[in-house]
Amino acid sequence: MTPVRIKMSKITVENVSYVYSAGTPFEVKALDDINLSIEENRITGIIGHTGSGKSTLVQMFNGLVRPDEGRILLDGADIWENPKEIGKVRFKVGLVMQYPEYQLFEETVKADIAFGPKNMGLDEDEIKNRVSECAGFVGLGQNELDKSPFDLSGGQKRRAAIAGVMAMKPEVLVLDEPAAGLDPAGRASIFDGIVKYKNSTGAAVIIVSHSMEDMAKYCDYLIVMADAKVFMTGDRDTVFSNSSQLENIGLDIPQITKVMTLLCEAGVNVSKSIYTVEDAERALLKLFGGVR
Amino acid sequence: MKGIVLGQYYPADSVIHRLDPRIKIILALIYIVCSFLCRNIFSFVLLFMSSIVLILVSRIPLKIVFRSLRAIIFIMLFTAVLNVFWTKGEPENLLVSWKFINIYTEGIYNAVFIVVRIVSMIIGSSIFMTYTTTPIQLTDGIERLLSPLKKLHVPVHEFAMMMTIALRFIPIIVEETQKIMSAQKARGADFSSGSLMKRAKALVPVLIPLFISAFRRAGDLATAMTCRCYRGGKGRTKMTVLKCRARDYVMLAVSAAFTAAVVVINIYSFGYTM
Amino acid sequence: MAYIKISDLNFSYRDDDGNFIPVLKDISLEIEKGEYIAVLGHNGSGKSTLAKLLNMVIDDYEGMTGKIEINGKDITSPEITEDEIYELRKDVGMVFQNPDNQLVATIVEEDVAFGPENLGLPREEIRRRVDDALATVGMSEYARHEPHRLSGGQKQRVAIAGIIAMMPECMIFDESTAMLDPIGRKEVIETIEKLNRERHITVLSITHYMDEAVRAGRVIVLNDGNILLDGTPSYIFSKPDLLREAGLDLPQCADLMLRLKKRGIPLEGDFNTPEQCVRSLLNALHK
Repeated sequence: MTPVRIKMSKITVENVSYVYSAGTPFEVKALDDINLSIEENRITGIIGHTGSGKSTLVQMFNGLVRPDEGRILLDGADIWENPKEIGKVRFKVGLVMQYPEYQLFEETVKADIAFGPKNMGLDEDEIKNRVSECAGFVGLGQNELDKSPFDLSGGQKRRAAIAGVMAMKPEVLVLDEPAAGLDPAGRASIFDGIVKYKNSTGAAVIIVSHSMEDMAKYCDYLIVMADAKVFMTGDRDTVFSNSSQLENIGLDIPQITKVMTLLCEAGVNVSKSIYTVEDAERALLKLFGGVR
Repeated sequence: MKGIVLGQYYPADSVIHRLDPRIKIILALIYIVCSFLCRNIFSFVLLFMSSIVLILVSRIPLKIVFRSLRAIIFIMLFTAVLNVFWTKGEPENLLVSWKFINIYTEGIYNAVFIVVRIVSMIIGSSIFMTYTTTPIQLTDGIERLLSPLKKLHVPVHEFAMMMTIALRFIPIIVEETQKIMSAQKARGADFSSGSLMKRAKALVPVLIPLFISAFRRAGDLATAMTCRCYRGGKGRTKMTVLKCRARDYVMLAVSAAFTAAVVVINIYSFGYTM
Repeated sequence: MAYIKISDLNFSYRDDDGNFIPVLKDISLEIEKGEYIAVLGHNGSGKSTLAKLLNMVIDDYEGMTGKIEINGKDITSPEITEDEIYELRKDVGMVFQNPDNQLVATIVEEDVAFGPENLGLPREEIRRRVDDALATVGMSEYARHEPHRLSGGQKQRVAIAGIIAMMPECMIFDESTAMLDPIGRKEVIETIEKLNRERHITVLSITHYMDEAVRAGRVIVLNDGNILLDGTPSYIFSKPDLLREAGLDLPQCADLMLRLKKRGIPLEGDFNTPEQCVRSLLNALHK
């Protein structure tokens, strides 16, 4: 008999709780007994309202915030086992915070992207390779790399900042609202870069976003949070087929899903778990073909 | 970080909280002057008692008052010790004499007086100003007290506007600093180890984005203010008008009586005088 | 007469080397009183510059030609006086993107009073306007709060109240929802619609969110400084190729319906909301 290999999750969150400003009138429970796991080679989306605890959660993955209770396991080991080593965790779990372009500081884009790898103590050649590779993921060319980051457009700045985290080659890449405030073309180029990174490295990618349409388009697996708790998890088919539950907790659902749900309610025989325009087109064409 | 409280304002409902900020600034000044007028044990006892009365009337918890005094405990001890060793009194009042150290009764008195003076001064001025008055009320009070200076072309309004904007943006900048520090930490920046030089250098990736952002905010704010028809203090009116009420005049009268009492006790009294 | 009339407007800004970079090219536009217009365009399409020109808050006008008339007054004329510019800023209010960077005071109602105070109004009048403005945006209960403890949507509503208190005829929203979460966006959009509907304030909402454009009466699409499209939302969405050229996406609803139409399915009506789509689909199915 061959031994059964149990596949370990990349990140496991075990009974994690966190309270902000404990003991003051501003006390808020940010996370309440959270359990979940994050897998490699997959884009996991975290959905929820502002204040649902998702921003606190993502800052726990790389040890910026330490849980009051519970454990965060990376490859099965508690990241707070030895608090002095938390710096190493930050190289393995890269975090792109909201509006990351406000952290750019170097004279050139190139130097800014190299900041993380330099802190890792890598040698010059390796740093150079990583800078050009990661600039490539997000679609920045040599021309932009030599510029001052402050001469780039808003969308380019954002991409440079994201490349700066990718250049550490993290095994887990966490992005908090990576496309917020960008126009549709800007959003698309950010997400394309993220997908390229995942495909090339096999990393576990975690995206937090308010845009249901982006989440439906790019995420393989979804975690829905509400009131400091995990409300629902599952692959996107499962989550979006429960769209009425999402609406109940006040979240939007993709327009297309809304159309299909309304059609179902009107007695038309179509699937509710449709969240892309292409799938909806296919399903409806079939329906019309059937009618005629 | 939403819990950040500016200054030390303590929200409570007391007579002192409701006083006109201008009056409170004047009262604080009078109180400081009084604490310097005190010369003998009787006036200092009166001063100390008045501080306690102020704490009770303002409904500021003792705990909070002590916390602010703790911050200056070393200064107080230091001045007390200096007074004990340096005051030269009458020869018959010599308490201890050892090698070159001479301690007189006067020195002990002085040390106690000085400590009482500092403590009362701190309690009095902070109860009238920081604990019971919001920073914005204080700014407003200062602007109006100083407004006669406008005639001498002193930019009183501009100064007050700067204070207001600073107060508005301090919490934002504090929050932003933490955000940028977290972002750089996520890229492996280390702010807490190494030599002083190394730590100072590690702050560059925080300070540069912080400055850039502060300038951007300043620019945005200037545009927004222009769009809202701001053109300096000229022709500007105010929604809130400060008005002195009966309680303000009563407090002024009380403080005048207090000052008189201190002066009288200083003149007609006996015992050690500073 | 149009409330805002822009004729042959060109604008270039000067870069660090002193070269003129064109931002707006030959813009001609008429806006009637009470209209609700969404101005769409990708980042850098010139839409923010257009907004700032309408309030004359740009540092350098050397690169400008053409004319902007508001309420019959040529605000680009060299003879315009400072007082007339203030009058203009009172009539045409601006709300910007970052709510933090436009609130001045540390107390909500004091901030709302800032504009009226600048206008030199009497105290009672300011009080009345502040209370009214806060009630209009639904922030009365926060009057004595500190802005930095409010949510993004609440802060932005305070900023709107600060403009309403100046009693403008027209309001320009320069990407005022871009930094907000969906709840904040909703709050702000509903406030904007209310102002247009109940107070008949002319609204110019600059955005790149398609779902906001859907709610406007008229949509203007800017691309590289040119007006690419100008019409009702339904008209705009019937030109998906031009929209994509401008770096914009169709809303999912319109996208789906246009695809089905292309395949020969007879769909009629507007496709701006899921409800409209479903109605049209059901009609076609039951034929």
